[in-house]
Parts: sequence; structure tokens; C-alpha cells
Amino acid sequence: MKALILGLAVVAFSATATAQGARWETTVRKIESGPWQGARLEDDQPDIQGNWSNTIANHNNFTDPQGAIPGDPSARTRKEKPRDQRAPSRVSSTADGQVPFQPWARDAQQDLQAHLFDPTQPQYIEPLARCAPAGVPKSFMWHGWEIRQYPGYVLFLFDSGTRIIHLDGSPHPSDAIKLWNADSRGHWEGNTLVVDVANNNGKARFARTGEFDSENAKIVERYVFDNDGQHFNYVATITDPTVYTEPWTTTIPARRYSEKDAPDEWHFDVSAANRPGKPLLYENHERICVENNGPFGQVAVTSRK
Amino acid sequence: MKTSTFSTRWLVAYFLVLLVMSATAAAAEPKIPRLRSGKPDFSGIWQTTSAADYDLEPHAARKDAPPGLGIVEGNTIPYLPAALEQKKKNFEARQTDDPRLKCWTLGTPRGIYYPEPFQIFQRDRDLTIVFQFGQSVRTIHTNGTLHPEVIDNEFYLGDSRARWEGDTLLVDVKDFNDETWLDRAGNFHSTALNVVERWKLLDANTIEYKSTLEDPQVYSKPWSISVILQRHREKNFQLIEDYCYTLDYDSYYPVPVKR
Repeated sequence: MKALILGLAVVAFSATATAQGARWETTVRKIESGPWQGARLEDDQPDIQGNWSNTIANHNNFTDPQGAIPGDPSARTRKEKPRDQRAPSRVSSTADGQVPFQPWARDAQQDLQAHLFDPTQPQYIEPLARCAPAGVPKSFMWHGWEIRQYPGYVLFLFDSGTRIIHLDGSPHPSDAIKLWNADSRGHWEGNTLVVDVANNNGKARFARTGEFDSENAKIVERYVFDNDGQHFNYVATITDPTVYTEPWTTTIPARRYSEKDAPDEWHFDVSAANRPGKPLLYENHERICVENNGPFGQVAVTSRK
Repeated sequence: MKTSTFSTRWLVAYFLVLLVMSATAAAAEPKIPRLRSGKPDFSGIWQTTSAADYDLEPHAARKDAPPGLGIVEGNTIPYLPAALEQKKKNFEARQTDDPRLKCWTLGTPRGIYYPEPFQIFQRDRDLTIVFQFGQSVRTIHTNGTLHPEVIDNEFYLGDSRARWEGDTLLVDVKDFNDETWLDRAGNFHSTALNVVERWKLLDANTIEYKSTLEDPQVYSKPWSISVILQRHREKNFQLIEDYCYTLDYDSYYPVPVKR
């Protein structure tokens, strides 16, 4: 019971924090795949290192990113704009902007959505509220993240979870291994990082509106970087014949954050490095979650000795 | 025909000499991987084979730990009297109170000798350590930046600033909270902990990791540990995420597929 209450409290808190700290755009920039004309690293990868965050909304609502969460009991402080003035659905491949769920899966998603604020069963608690990794693709809708690159690797350091993208052509591990953040094998095609995602445990949800996949999902991600070095679109095609009627594609736009931007607690949660006499340099600090959240009645921090 | 045999013999002799010479050179100066900048390259997946995480101090086998010679120089951690009492209490309660059991971030130095692999990613400006356990991430800055001016004792892994001393990476770590233990035997520290680490490649596949722990609230004098880390060289070896704190609730997910 205590766990359920804590889960709710986290949901409510996060929604408030987002409303305060957000700077959102209402359109999605078009970025074509093609040659990369920007800087490159020693191993010839396009240099896309640094801090990034998505430009339209957090994970409150997957298909109406700037709309309310259906059934949200908290009073909205701002008047909602008409639908055509809000950002488009993150489902970019279907005419109606909806996930092409099979009927049973649509019912399940509606049930999860209806119980977000009334989690009478443990499965109604959005796993991210328990500090589970945000997973694929939600990590790109949840706070800013940092990309670091190395010969053979792209490393994503998310607010909740870490992804190691292997670029060396090695195979996915056995299908018996299922993971919150799945297993990622990628390669560069010009300005586009193409990542094959397998070993997904299907446990992370896409949003507070309850969209989901299963452990049968195969995902191909295309990170299409603008040659201005300041933007990319995350374009992922999800194939899961056990949940959907057809493969579908989600698009999540993102932009770079750098020393030109003011830090904020949502997109760009950094602080200035201590280096007297030298130009401003922002750095990220240690990320923890479970230690300060405490599912199942754990206290946040043990009493001081 | 005869000429050819003659020159083949010379060729073999020549290569034998080369082989001996290179072997001698290797013995004198072990070849270690380096970044383009010339600094030692610690990139790779590493793990200790020691029993250090069970108990840093020498111990015979017990039900919850294999035996170990210990990795503390001088064998004994120099606790202050009150701290020693706390350590004994921790030891008695180790089956329930070890933060590892909640899958919390292990801390520094514990993450280094915990019996799960970690991966080092290295750039000129920093080393990033991703621990398989909990997928926690530690950044060791090698870009000349200093510890934050305001120390507010909030970090599980501490704040790590490093410099090179020849081929040894010297890391100063402070700004700790007091939520972590040093091992499963209840050895502990306070927020005043200062860890000074020395990382050195003994050869391409072996790191010698040493650190000195100073904490005037808990220890009567600084003390040191030393452990060897081996590179994982198994074919296609990789970290496998271990978000172990999800194991208590992950049976509620995913949504069961209806066929």
C-alpha cells in the first residue's frame, strides 16, 4: 500500500516539475538522411558528443505530446491550445497518429491509462516512477541526456538508465536475455546512426498514457543528425506482430544543449566545472534514483549515524 | 637448390634473433595500450578475481563468504574505538543492512572490487566507468578541473579529479555521502572520506589498483588497499545490464501478450 502511494506521489511531482521547467516547440523539424559534413572523431565517427534533450514534451502523453494526460485530476494551470496548435503525435507513420494496436492491446493500453492516477494494482504503476530504466524509446522523452563517443561505441547516459551502442559488428546476445534497455548494435550511414535493438524485455512503457510493446519487439532506430550539429530526429520503427497490426514508426525531435544555454533542472541539469580563469564548462553529476525513491517502503536515506 | 636452403637457414636465424630481442624488450618494458595522446589507455571490461568484496580484511571461510587473504596493507583497518563498535554492529547485521542488498550504487572504491564486471571508456578529458551492477556511471575527470568549491556530501561515488604521474593515473575522490559500505562485512566510512587512487597498467590485460582511504571521523590513520583487475578477453564479452533494484517488482511487467 505504501508503495502505491509513493508511486503516485512521484507521478504527481514529475508532472509539476515538467510544467515549470519546459521550453517546448510545437513543430518537428525535417532532417533528411544524407552525408555528414560536420566534425568527426579520431575513428571517423561524426562527432555528436554532448548534452541533448527532446524539443516537444515529456512522456505524459505519447500521441498528443502537449495535451493533458486523459483523466488527470490535477487542475491545469494553463489553457490548452487547440489540437492543431500543439505538437503532432509521436506516431509518425499512421494517418490517425495512433499506435496500431491489436484490439486486446488497445484495451490493455486504455486500462493502464485509466488507472495511472488510481493504481489499484501494482502493474498500474508506471515502472519509471519506481526508478526502472525509461527504456526504448521513452529515455528520449525523459529529461536531457549526454552522449559520449569512443572507438567502437556510442554511450547514452540518461537520467534513468544507460545505453551502450556497440559499433563493432558483433552480434546480439542470446535471445534468452531480456533487458529493460534492450541490446543495441549500430553503425553510421552518413549523418545517421542506425541501431538494431533486440533483447527487449518489453517492461518499460512509452508514456504515462500506457502505450507498450512486448519482449517480441524488434526496433530499428535511426538517429538523423542535422549538419548544423544542433539537432537530431530520433526515428524508430517498431515491429511486434504479437501486439500491433503492422510495424509503425515514432519520431522524437531533439536539440543540443551547450554552454550557450542556461542550465535547467529538466533539459540541462548541469553545473559549472571548477576551473578558475578558464571559460565556462558545464559538467553532469552522478545520477541516482532508487537511492532517493524507495519502492516498497524503503526510506529515502537512512538516518544519520 | 643448395643456395636456397642456405639462405632459408640464415632467414630462420635472423628471425630467431629478432624474436629473442623483442622478448627481452618486452620483459623490460611491458607493452600497454595507449591513446593517441600517448597516455595509458584503460579502455576495456575489467573485474577482480579476489574475494575482497566479501571482507577487505583477512578471513577464513564462513557461511556467507569464501576465504580471503585480505587486500588491506597491514591486514587491519585502523578504526577509532567508537567506529570499531559500529563496524562490529554492521558485521552482525550484514545479512540485512548491506546497501548492496538494495542494489544501491556501490560507492568508491567498492565498485572496483565488487565481483561483477565494469567497463572503462576513455577520452583525453575523462574516464567513464559503467558498472554492470546497477549500471551506475562514474566519471573521472582528467581535464584539469578541480573538486567543486561547495562540498555538500551528496555523492555515492564521490567527485573524482585526476592527474597523470608518469603512466599512473592518480585520482583524488571526495564529497561522499555516508550511505555506502566498503564490503559485505560492514566496513564503512563517513562523509569525511577522502580516497586517493592509483591506477596502473602492469601489462595490456592487467591493472594494478591501489587506493588510500583517509577519514579522521572513522579511522585513526590513513590505510591502503591493493587489488589486481583482469581484462575480460572472452569472445564477444559485454556488460549485461543489472538493474537489480527492479527485481522486486519486475514480475508486474510487461503487459501479458494475449494470443
